[in-house]
Parts: sequence; structure tokens; C-alpha cells
Amino acid sequence: MGKILARFLVTVGMGFCLAQLVQAHHSFVAVDRNVERLIVGTVARWTFNNPHSWLYLDVENEDGTTTLWSFEGSGVISLLRKRITGDTFQPGDRVTFMYCPLKDGRPGGHLGWAQLDDGSFIDPSDGGCAGDEETIDRWKGWLEQGFTSKAEAEAAGVVL
Amino acid sequence: MKNHKILPFGLGIYLIILFASSVQAQGYNENEELVVVLPPMKFETASAHYAYLLEQAGGGTQHTAATIPQWPGLWDTAGNTIGKTFLLDPEAILDVDDEQKGGRVRTGILTPPYEQAFQERRQEMREAGQQKYDRLTHCESPGYPRFLLEPYTREFINLPHQSWQLNDLMNENRRIYIDQEHINVYGTHSWLGDSIGFWDGDRLITNTVDILPVDYFRGLPLTSNQFESVEVWEMKILGDGSQRLEVQVTFYDEHSLLKPIHAVYAYKPAMVLMEIGARIRQWECETSSNSYLTADGETNFLLPGEPGYKDARGVTLFPHLPGQSRDPIYETGFEN
Repeated sequence: MGKILARFLVTVGMGFCLAQLVQAHHSFVAVDRNVERLIVGTVARWTFNNPHSWLYLDVENEDGTTTLWSFEGSGVISLLRKRITGDTFQPGDRVTFMYCPLKDGRPGGHLGWAQLDDGSFIDPSDGGCAGDEETIDRWKGWLEQGFTSKAEAEAAGVVL
Repeated sequence: MKNHKILPFGLGIYLIILFASSVQAQGYNENEELVVVLPPMKFETASAHYAYLLEQAGGGTQHTAATIPQWPGLWDTAGNTIGKTFLLDPEAILDVDDEQKGGRVRTGILTPPYEQAFQERRQEMREAGQQKYDRLTHCESPGYPRFLLEPYTREFINLPHQSWQLNDLMNENRRIYIDQEHINVYGTHSWLGDSIGFWDGDRLITNTVDILPVDYFRGLPLTSNQFESVEVWEMKILGDGSQRLEVQVTFYDEHSLLKPIHAVYAYKPAMVLMEIGARIRQWECETSSNSYLTADGETNFLLPGEPGYKDARGVTLFPHLPGQSRDPIYETGFEN
């Protein structure tokens, strides 16, 4: 009876939920998830496709030229769960969002949070960059103080 | 059948049910803990396990279209216990923050070669922060048992002679043949294997065999081509009245497991998806995935303009014909 009870308790103890795993078919080792930067640009294309969405953004450089940046977001179903659709970003939209860059320095990375024209924040992120409520709240504080990267905020000693 | 083995396990099940009932009376919510229900006794093989359950069910319940349990709508994953089976730190299945987390493999579960392979996978994760490459990156099928865990969206369609389990991810469609025997005319195994089943009242019992070697998930161990399972599917009503579809599984694998392991996976109604009228579309990877395996064995991404870049919203092989764009609403074609 003791063994049965022990086995029963072990079994109950194994009840562990892992419901919030990221929805991705690949690793994120190419992305520096410790770096968070702000970027503003004009939507060239919102590829609301599986296996991952991609937001392509025309970003103006200081010399007046434009670079096409590429940012990966979550898969379609995961975005729909957050009420983000294929029409959320439209060509020509001016968008501000936070991203985590590719480690190799190419113009791309993974989406964190995005801020829409009406000022609201949405989370198109996957495991490549944090875009959850906690991250958005932290960034709201940094945005108020004019920071454009996590590094800037931390260098200034503003750790929220 | 040895009653002295069955009785203690039967009592264990009774205790679990009693415990579950008492907790439910206090009021559950969606975060109600998942509980593994062990089989009534130990079995050497999945087929013996399945045969025993079929015998206990008197050959199974013969449902008609009018009586068969229905699990309609869209379903999202709602947790599982498989991570804890293999890791002492199951929260670190995918990501490893430091040396203290994610590297601690639960020993005595896997056979020596498979445990060594798993230790090497976790060591790679400790060094890189996560697994460097996932075989799904090149559009390989998740397969079974990964089918059960992938956090995508499911549909469950129960018919008197078949049950269909449809996963959004890569369009994996699992067919469970009710009250039938295993058949394999392909001369090899397949990603989801061959599944048969029977109904025991409202519970669907299945047996899956002939599965190709895959893995449980990114960051979890590998399985072999002798992996088999017995599942018990059942709809549960939680304390708050919500539904949770649970599947109690026993995995058998003579190559990778020292002994059979038990786990539970769960699914919950995808309320937001159903509210916004989302419909599952064809899942496609060949023309749209720009992640790839580098020469260093890592994962990276092709960007527009780079050789090999796939334009998911580009045109077909016949761009000279009108109407060949895969972006017919926004027509955002850009040079790439």
C-alpha cells in the first residue's frame, strides 16, 4: 500500500503544464535576444504566411537612402490567437516596433512588440524576441524617457 | 491475468479519481493541474496493453453517427507532462539561460545510447542557449509523438469507423481506424504510423505502430523506429465548466526507453480563434520558409536579394501570365 501511495503521489506530482511553448519550426540561435532596439519604417510587405510571418520594412538611412529590413514574427495561428491578422500591417503604414537583431549584422531580426497608429501595442513576436506584456510595460517606461534601445536604458541605469 | 497485480493498480486509479474529484469540488480553472493516470498494470508491449484494454472493454463500444462523442471546433494545446519525464527542469525545454537550468537530464529513463544523445543535445543547448537546429526547419514532418505536443491548432473529427485528428502544423492528419487491425502495405514506416482504436464508452483508446524515428520536441529526446503507443482520449469538464480534452499516453520503445513511460497531453477550446472565425488553411513550407541549416550546423535566415531566398508572396513559375501573383490582394511585389 505504501508503494501504491508513493506511486500515486509521484504521478500527481508530474502534473506539469507546458502550454506556452513558442510556436516555431526552427531554432533562434541566429538572433541576439539580449539586444532590443527600436525601429521606425514604412511597411513594404506584411507576409502573413506559415511557417512564420515576416514584416518587410523600408527604413530611411541617415544619408537619405532606404534599406529594406526583414523581421520574422510568429506563425499565422499564433498571431490569430492574438487577434493579429493579414491586414494588421498594410503597405505604406508607418510602424514603430522593437526588434532583436540578427547576430551577423544583416538588416533583419525578430519582431518584439509593435505600436500601431492609434498608439496601441501588439505582440507579433515568437521565441526570437520578447514582445509580451511585461516587455511592453518595461518599454513604455523607456519610451517616455526617449530611449531607443535596451542598451541605452541600461547604460543610463534605468532598469524597469 | 494476475489479479494481485491488477488490484493495487486499480486501487491507485481509484485514489487518483478520488483525489481529482475532491479537488474538482473545490473549483478548478483552466490551469487545473494535469494528472498522469497510470495503466491498470504493467505491459511488455503496446500491443499487449491495447489488447488488454480491448478485452476489458468487452470488445469496445459500437457507436453510431448519432452516439459517437463529438469534440467539435478548434483546439489549442493546453499543457503536457512529457518534459518532466526527461528533464529535472522542464521549464527549460527550449531555452537554457545558464548552467543551472536545462541541462539536468533525468537519468534512468532512456537507454544508454539515447541518453548519451540526449545529454549531447542538452550540452549543445547549454553552450548555445538553445538547440542549434531543428529538423522541422527544412520542412520535415513533426511526426509522432511530436504531433501531440506541437503548440498549433487541432480539429478532432470522430466518425463511427475512423477518427481524424488534424493539426494546423504542416497539415499533419492522423487517421485512427476504429475496430480494425493494423495494416502496412508501404514496406516502411511513416511519420504518424498506423493507428487503430476502439471506443470504451466516451473514451477513445488507440494503438499506434510503424512510426519513423523522430523526437518528442525540440530540446527533448529522440525516438526510434520501434516506438509505439497506447492512448486513452477523454473529454474532461473542469471545475469552471470548461472543456479539456486529455490523452493519457504510454510510450513503448525497445531501442530508446528502458521501460515504458507515461504522460498526459491536453487540449483546450481555441476560443479566440473561433470567436474571430479563423479557419485552418493549407500549411506550406516549401515556397515560404527562409530558415536553413548553415555549414556550422546552426540555423539562419535568408533575406530578400540573397541567393536561395523564397518569396512567399511572389509569383508562380509562369509570371508572364496574368493572375500568377501569390499576393493578389496587396500586390506588394518588390525586388528581391
